[in-house]
Amino acid sequence: MPAPFDLPFVQRAVVEIVLLAVGSGILGTWIVLRGLSFYAHAVGTAAFPGLVLADGLGFSPLLGALATAGLVAIGVTAIAARGRAEYDSATALVLVGALAAGVILASDVFHSQASVERMLFGSLLVIGSTDQVVAAAVGVAVLLAGALLGRRWLAAGFDRDSARALGARSALPDFVLLALVAACAVAALDAIGALLSTALLVVPAATTRLVVDRLRPWQAATVALVLVEGVAGLWISVEVNAPPGATIAVVGGAVFAATALARGAHLRLGTATS
Amino acid sequence: MTDALLEVADLAAGYGGEPVLRDVAFTARPGQRIAVLGPNGGGKTTLFRALLGELTPSAGTLERPARIGVVPQTERSRLDFPVSALDVALMGTLSTLPWWRRPSRADRARARQALADVGLAERVDATFGDLSGGQRQRVLVARALVQDAPVLLLDEPYVGLDTPSAALLDRLLLDLAASGRALLIATHDVEQARDWERVLCLNRRQIAFGAPDDVLTRETLALTYGTELVELPAGDRCVLPGHHAHDHGAA
Repeated sequence: MPAPFDLPFVQRAVVEIVLLAVGSGILGTWIVLRGLSFYAHAVGTAAFPGLVLADGLGFSPLLGALATAGLVAIGVTAIAARGRAEYDSATALVLVGALAAGVILASDVFHSQASVERMLFGSLLVIGSTDQVVAAAVGVAVLLAGALLGRRWLAAGFDRDSARALGARSALPDFVLLALVAACAVAALDAIGALLSTALLVVPAATTRLVVDRLRPWQAATVALVLVEGVAGLWISVEVNAPPGATIAVVGGAVFAATALARGAHLRLGTATS
Repeated sequence: MTDALLEVADLAAGYGGEPVLRDVAFTARPGQRIAVLGPNGGGKTTLFRALLGELTPSAGTLERPARIGVVPQTERSRLDFPVSALDVALMGTLSTLPWWRRPSRADRARARQALADVGLAERVDATFGDLSGGQRQRVLVARALVQDAPVLLLDEPYVGLDTPSAALLDRLLLDLAASGRALLIATHDVEQARDWERVLCLNRRQIAFGAPDDVLTRETLALTYGTELVELPAGDRCVLPGHHAHDHGAA
């Protein structure tokens, strides 16, 4: 085992990555499939007012973030269900509201110098057991919900009008999906931060989508890729003394770029030889 | 009459304000292929949405079976989805299984059979987006078969099909009707409608409903399509320019 992995805090970080990989890998495929990337990015960021409140009033930041992200999920579902607005527009509306509330709370109410940087970029090397319990709980919830509701998520994304005609009412299952993405983004907050949560939730799934064309193998491949990118990023970050969240994001981006380039070259080669 | 699968009386429906479709009254019986004719904006989609229960009628009554199958235009499906033909056909079980149940071995066998019934036994595992337009259309019909719906709504199923695919679909629709189902088929093809059992003409209201010979007169078509209609020089026939009239049945 390479030297950094002998350190207890690095081992805790690895366990956190393993636990997060299940939830974020599987959810990542649904996020890409259902066009929820912007929502996945925004829901972590929108937890800002909850974190400011928690900091100012002295309760658990995790609770503050979970509550705010839950409200965001409810808000986006309600707006998207009422009008014909797509999730992106609804997300933008709710995100602006949440960020404005957070800024006002931070600057005018609590005058907090809340650990904004930590929230935005995470700190994988100071993971506590609560973070691990939350990550494990999200992973189990994602597995369970995917088994029960996956067919409805798939049918609604494939063709929303027909899904309704098939009797697959999508409002409640879709809300569960949004709520799980919110919970997973919050679970990843301490590890990788709000601004970088898509490095776990979107980028690996988008990468594996380039090479896998069936749902189950895609999900398995994405969980594996989150794991590999997470551990590789962590190892590099310890070796070169870089922030782990950002390093994982860079690794994810590089793997995506390499995969996209390789696929492009492969397709061009196929066209040229056929 | 008791054998009606679908009974619509004095139906009006819309999207909140004035109804965009009114005075609709017709009956669909087993074995009938019903052409739903009308200009774009004439109310075909509104009628289908009302029949599916997505729109609450603002007037009139609607007696419908518990399950109505819908075969949308395939362009409305996500062609980049990582699903096989079998996965799509299995979506038909969503209306027959409780939400916590997954399809059983028997359900999967039924979905395979439905794909075989539409002539796609060999393409069960093909990715939906890789299939031709006609094959995708038939996968969606298979999904409606798995749903086991006695009434099927088909939204311009012939659009974009080449002649062999259109002939296959003709055969399939005939078989579906022969098995006791009623089919409502939105189309712009007046000539094709002459081969079916009933014709329903809509132009923001019901213009006519009945057997093709009674309904497809110059007067009714003029009321249905207005100035869009072009009369052919030879006799009573009329055509619609600009719509996707394929050469189905011309040979």
